[in-house]
Amino acid sequence: MEKAIFTFIEKCVACKGCEIACAVEHSQAKSLFGAIAESPRPRPRVRVENAGAYSYPARCLHCEDAACIAACPMGAMTRNAVTNAVYVDESKCIGCWMCVMVCPFGGVSADPVAKKAHKCDRCPDRTARGEDPACVAACPTRAMIYATPEELAAHRRQATAMSAAGMAAARIAGNVDLWRSQKGGMRK
Amino acid sequence: MKIVIIGNGPAAVAAAEAARELDGDCGITMISKEAVPFYSPCPLAEYVEASVPRAHLFLRDGRFYRDRDITTLFGRPATAIDTEARQVTVGGGAGATLVAYDRLFIAAGARAVMPPIPGLADTPGVFALKTLADADGIVARLAAARRAVVIGSGFIGLEAAQALVRRGLAVTVVEALGQVLPQMLDAEMAALVETRLRDHGVAVRLNSPAQAVLGGQAGVAAVRAGGREISCDLVVCAAGVRPDLSLLAGSGIATATGILANEFMETSQPDVYAAGDIVEALDRQGKHRVLPIWPNAVNGGRIAGGNMVAARTRSYRGLDGINVVRIFDLPVVSFGSSTGERSLRYAGNGILKKLSLAGGKVVGAQFFGDVNATGLYHGLMNKGVDVGSFESELLSPGFGYGRLVPRPPLPIRRAA
Ligand SMILES: Cc1cc2nc3c(=O)[nH]c(=O)nc-3n(C[C@H](O)[C@H](O)[C@H](O)COP(=O)(O)OP(=O)(O)OC[C@H]3O[C@@H](n4cnc5c(N)ncnc54)[C@H](O)[C@@H]3O)c2cc1C
Ligand code: SF4
Repeated sequence: MEKAIFTFIEKCVACKGCEIACAVEHSQAKSLFGAIAESPRPRPRVRVENAGAYSYPARCLHCEDAACIAACPMGAMTRNAVTNAVYVDESKCIGCWMCVMVCPFGGVSADPVAKKAHKCDRCPDRTARGEDPACVAACPTRAMIYATPEELAAHRRQATAMSAAGMAAARIAGNVDLWRSQKGGMRK
Repeated sequence: MKIVIIGNGPAAVAAAEAARELDGDCGITMISKEAVPFYSPCPLAEYVEASVPRAHLFLRDGRFYRDRDITTLFGRPATAIDTEARQVTVGGGAGATLVAYDRLFIAAGARAVMPPIPGLADTPGVFALKTLADADGIVARLAAARRAVVIGSGFIGLEAAQALVRRGLAVTVVEALGQVLPQMLDAEMAALVETRLRDHGVAVRLNSPAQAVLGGQAGVAAVRAGGREISCDLVVCAAGVRPDLSLLAGSGIATATGILANEFMETSQPDVYAAGDIVEALDRQGKHRVLPIWPNAVNGGRIAGGNMVAARTRSYRGLDGINVVRIFDLPVVSFGSSTGERSLRYAGNGILKKLSLAGGKVVGAQFFGDVNATGLYHGLMNKGVDVGSFESELLSPGFGYGRLVPRPPLPIRRAA
């Protein structure tokens, strides 16, 4: 299976490094100082949200049965045939905001300046080079990983073993953001 | 197996795609009144405005039908359905063609409501804004037009008004009721929209039902509404849309306002399915409703397409009723009910947000000036999530999906 971004919510320390890395990656200059100088200022596509006692780097989950794709009346919301990520073809987007209204995760936002839908594209340029998406690479606590479900399972086994050996308090099992499908993703 | 599809809009195309994906061998025939390939009606106002080029309206080209081995009968309407003989009549008179089906999918959409007032139907310069031909007609008339009247202040009327203002016309919107967007907003929200329209040069006449279109064969000269004459050389009639049931006469297919369909998108007749703007189907709350929006057409089409190949393998979780319109670039959004037991409110920076709550759950929302996170609230309503424990956070700027993610118990911090 293809790779996806998985989140370990208890590891996020709300440093917002992912937000900055995302904005830089999606800037013209692709550097922090260049990005700050750009107008309009590049906006991140991941947002660190308050999650009670935790914080959560929220972004598009690239659902298998994506409501935004069905809702887009311009054929602008598209799935990348190579990476399987859902992205906005800005040349077709008219900013009608149907996609924003049907996403139950708040994964698509409205860019009021560009008048285009704004969302995570899972960094196709970086992943094509074999790198992790910018948010994943920037996270100092590894609260996100970019992996296949098989790699994730291996990661969990390893973490459990480490924790059993008293090497780390990385309790991961059961805490993984696996809500890939819009069906049943939300906590009742 | 022969699948016949009436229509070539999003519901029809989604059904054809779903059926072909599951069955490479079935025959698929699509019948469409319009001669052009599949296009989206949603950006028609933007096309009139000239902010979206005509080519962007088309979402599929001729290759799409050829590659999927779809037979197209475009340019003539289906005129009758015989559910006994299992055939559809295409066209009329001596040139009519009969098309036999094993499964039939009806996705002929809605038609623009044209109120029966004198002059509306037959005066040149009067248009609906429903089809590409309507939009092309408006565009062709723009060069000679200075003043326009838009009949109706629903979302299509307001989109049309904005487009015409941006093309340099003086625009008056006439509305029969006492507020704009009467189907979508409460009076407080509507007043904000009205102010924004006036600020951008649109004249708004409320409590002014259109009574007559004046003029002659030379073209429209004025509209009489609420007892006053408004001179104009272009009229856009945006008095709403209704399912187009004209081809169903004698078919035995049960209808109310639209074709009645169950969660499998089956109609009352065997092997006859329907979806999209023409249908009256179950919404998320289990009520039969006509909810003519794009996502419902696509999702309903996919379900019908799958079920035509393998009966009752797909079912609909219910139509959505969401509305979003941009008023000179500011988003205005609503869904659900505007009256709950209680309403939460956020106002600031030109933004007004209202959430209606009942029984600890979100039952509706109206947003002016901001659309972000509305999908989240809509999701909370659809899933019937009890929001009581975090109600006070709902409209705070930091609220997001993070608040809803299952969280582990607080970690025990051990000394290193
Ligand atoms: C100006 C405008 C703006 C809109 N904006 C939005 C928006 O922002 N968001 C949103 O969600 N929705 C919007 N809508 C609504 C959306 O376009 C419809 O809900 C959607 O197109 C319905 O799809 P459908 O397949 O049911 O029918 P349609 O798209 O109406 O297609 C009907 C098809 O049936 C064909 N047909 C009709 N009668 C016959 C017949 N007798 N025989 C054969 N073929 C026939 C037509 O030629 C057409 O191909 C807008 C609509 C308009 C007009
Ligand atoms: S805002 Fe853009 S991407 Fe989203 S539904 Fe509208 S056209 Fe499609």
